[in-house]
Amino acid sequence: MIEAKNLTKIFKDKKRGEIRAVDDVSFECKPGEIFGLLGPNGAGKTTTLRMLSTALVPTSGTAVIDGIDVAQNPKEVRSHIGFLSGNTGLYGRLTAREMVEYFGRLYGMRNSDIKTRIETLFEMLDMNDFASGRNDKLSTGQKQKVSIARSVVHDPPVMVFDEPTTGLDVMSSRTIVDFIRKCRDDGKCVIFSTHIMSEARRLCDRIAVIHKGTKFFEGTASKMLDKSGQDNLEDAFIKIVGEER
Amino acid sequence: MRFRILTTIFLKEMKDTLRDRRTLIFMLAVPILAIPALMMFISQLMMSQITKEMERTSVIAVQGEEYLPAEFRDLLFQSGAVEIKDESEFETDDLTEEVLNGSIDALVVIPEAFDRAIEIESPTDIEIFYDEAEMRSGFAVNRIDSIFDSYRDQTISSRLDKYGLKSDVIEPFEVHSYNVAPMQKVAGEKLGAMLPYLIIIMCFMGAMYPAIDLAAGEKERGTLETLLVSPATRGEFVIGKYALILMTAIVAAFLGLGSLYFSMNYMVEDMFSKLGQMLALELDFSMMLLILMIVLPMAGIFAAVLLSVSIFARSFKEAQSYITVLNMFIILPAFVSFLPGVEMDYTMALIPVVSASIIIKDAISGTVEWQYVIVAFVWTNILAGITLLFARKWFERESVLFRM
Repeated sequence: MIEAKNLTKIFKDKKRGEIRAVDDVSFECKPGEIFGLLGPNGAGKTTTLRMLSTALVPTSGTAVIDGIDVAQNPKEVRSHIGFLSGNTGLYGRLTAREMVEYFGRLYGMRNSDIKTRIETLFEMLDMNDFASGRNDKLSTGQKQKVSIARSVVHDPPVMVFDEPTTGLDVMSSRTIVDFIRKCRDDGKCVIFSTHIMSEARRLCDRIAVIHKGTKFFEGTASKMLDKSGQDNLEDAFIKIVGEER
Repeated sequence: MRFRILTTIFLKEMKDTLRDRRTLIFMLAVPILAIPALMMFISQLMMSQITKEMERTSVIAVQGEEYLPAEFRDLLFQSGAVEIKDESEFETDDLTEEVLNGSIDALVVIPEAFDRAIEIESPTDIEIFYDEAEMRSGFAVNRIDSIFDSYRDQTISSRLDKYGLKSDVIEPFEVHSYNVAPMQKVAGEKLGAMLPYLIIIMCFMGAMYPAIDLAAGEKERGTLETLLVSPATRGEFVIGKYALILMTAIVAAFLGLGSLYFSMNYMVEDMFSKLGQMLALELDFSMMLLILMIVLPMAGIFAAVLLSVSIFARSFKEAQSYITVLNMFIILPAFVSFLPGVEMDYTMALIPVVSASIIIKDAISGTVEWQYVIVAFVWTNILAGITLLFARKWFERESVLFRM
């Protein structure tokens, strides 16, 4: 469902010259699976996910999403992907309903389909109480729910989460985690990035370790422990990327 | 470009903008409330200043008053229009210093043996020193002049009598000048300075906040990325957003015009009927159409440039500081309408904002020259197109969208 093939992204910076943010990264993620990109800040996780979701164009290499090539047909890929990150915000002056409707239209859905989809989603996420108030008046948890509804309004088969729990409190982050699990149970292909080892271990079926733009490992969490000979993921991570102090 | 997507974006941005208090203040409150208030304040201030200066007696000093003939001396000292300070009241020798520091409004210097020169009918000069920068000093000169004029007239007629001549001898003909310009042109000259400036500034301000909110605001809220991964193209976002910014710019410009029209015709007129009549602004449909025709492509440039700057900025604040600088480049050319003697020519027609400023001014005074309007219209449209293409290019550049 997601097939990253030798993804590479080079940024040109006036002061620092060429930066290889992502260097020759390949992996595979199947439907009904949660695939985690694990790595510290600045490892290249966000850049990788942005290439998958077509916000950035790969310098070389490509990815195939649901059978469609991101380099050749980015527009088609977009309607097959749902995207949510810890930084995604809302339009404060719109209501939850208006916001989700707007994105439904941007995804080219018919008005009647948008209406039924909103009913289903708002019921499922328990949003009906605050769906008609302005977004900037909502609590953090409620805002997260609006973001979730926005990201799946077009019922995409592939979900991309970029550090979705960063900066959230326990309750809100629980909402997101439950939602990620539900996506997997619905048979969606889920990829998500995090720098929190425990979160990766708890959620992911398989993990790719990324550091300085390069992939160091791909497999299950227990395989990662086995391979490194450590008994926790943090030590395993340090061992694998070979940066012992 | 799909029409349904464009209208979706446009309508969403309109809803969002109309709920934004900051935009509404700049778009609605400033033209509707601030302009009439400002007009009233300025005209009242000017009137009260002038009245005050006119009622005040001018204070002058006269050097060499001992050389004044007795009649002239009485005329000057007893006119009541000027108060004469005695030279002994000053410490400095150079009395022009006193004019500069404001203790006297003007200094009159009578040359040595002036009375003798008058008597023997030899030419002589009186010097007046004044401060051009001060209104009161100008008034003093006028008053002194009129006193001198009446003494000069007396002297001339007594000399003519002496030689037995009629006054026609020195005044072979009289000149009468009549104003043939229509009221519209006179008003254009007076109003023409202010109106184009206000329209252009209102237009820019009306576009400013929506532009910041629609691009830099998307970055700041973290909604930009969600738009980029949606199937609507970047070109569709540019056009949808551009259309909304253009609309607010035009609405703001015409609210400014309408508000100025109202305050000129109803408020100022009531207060000072004569001044009001002179300034009364006549707006007809063809004039409005001409103004729209010239403001529209200029607003197009504003919208595209503001959108480009805004998408380049990392945050709301950054966009604001860029636009503050940009603002200077609008205010200065818009100011052209205030400069006396600036006339339309082909060079002027090719400078955006300047051309709009002059054409609106000409439209008000009814002296539009169409060949320049057409050149300005075509050229401003070309520039609007180029800037829009540029904005679109920037919306497709990763280094602009994800600037670090």
